[in-house]
Amino acid sequence: MLERNTPQKTLESWKQIAAFLDRSERTARRWEAHEGLPVHRREHQKHDTVFAYKHEIESWTRRRTRFGGKDSVGEGREAHNFSQVYEAPANGYLIEHDAITRTMDRYIAGARAGDGELMRPAFHPEATMSGYCQGVEYSGSIEHVFAWVTANGPAPNIEPRFARIEIIETIALVHLEVRRWSGKLAGANSRASDVFTLLKLTGNWKITHKLFHWHND
Amino acid sequence: MTPTKSPSQHDEILKTLQLYIDGSKQGKSELMRPAFHPQASFFGYAGDQLAVGTEFLFDWIDRNGPAPGIEPRVMSVDILESIAVVRLEVANWSGELAGSGVRMSDLFTFLRMPEGWTIIQKAFHWNS
Repeated sequence: MLERNTPQKTLESWKQIAAFLDRSERTARRWEAHEGLPVHRREHQKHDTVFAYKHEIESWTRRRTRFGGKDSVGEGREAHNFSQVYEAPANGYLIEHDAITRTMDRYIAGARAGDGELMRPAFHPEATMSGYCQGVEYSGSIEHVFAWVTANGPAPNIEPRFARIEIIETIALVHLEVRRWSGKLAGANSRASDVFTLLKLTGNWKITHKLFHWHND
Repeated sequence: MTPTKSPSQHDEILKTLQLYIDGSKQGKSELMRPAFHPQASFFGYAGDQLAVGTEFLFDWIDRNGPAPGIEPRVMSVDILESIAVVRLEVANWSGELAGSGVRMSDLFTFLRMPEGWTIIQKAFHWNS
């Protein structure tokens, strides 16, 4: 079968994902829920099955380890799968780029879990949001986004893609395209375009504004 | 974001942005106020100080006074249906507060309202 080429590029269960991370399944699930570990789902009639791409897991791990997540992958180990973790960053731009995507991962984890509180740390306290949804303008405090995400509930199949990341010293722009939004408010298989503006605040990138366009297709 | 298919949308965005540039040049916030959404936000560092809120911006513009020599350059305009992003570089800022020969990098985000494109946020980086 063509898809099952070796070396295998995908991990087909929590067990395989956990083994690849050299962590327990429980830790892998927690990282997905709270820190944006990129895990995908296939929908079946009875229940969904999970899978993950090795390259996505590796890229997430590099970002996470460099920016000091607790119980970092590879911590205190002589040999593990992620030799890249210890490489010096290529340049300052990549350091900032990774730090920004780490902040965005928190937003994505919150959206996926349907938990506004989970994404709150990614935002500046005075952050705002604006955009149109079905012809109605929503502009105001970012609290509206947290409330919406929580009311919407889990959206386990969202497919987020970074369409653009632009960094100008202390400010940055992230254009995120999210397909397959679902949930109580999102409906099924919806698509959103988001433009986030971030500010580097005492070394941490925080989202100051979320601008969105909700597609009606 | 893809390059705009609609030249008129592009022009309308730049027309709104021009109000900001005119206000900056003359040191008059009243000229730029109509360009901003009532709930627009403003973020960035002026030196070590974190500046937040459009009132901070308008007050700064008025107190800075005329900056006739500013050289604004639009680096990019990206439109996606009802939202847009403009990156602006302004060289040669001057005035009471700006000093002289300062450069400002701006990220403007726009929202298309029934009455036209409005600035919903200005984020800036001050290159001192």
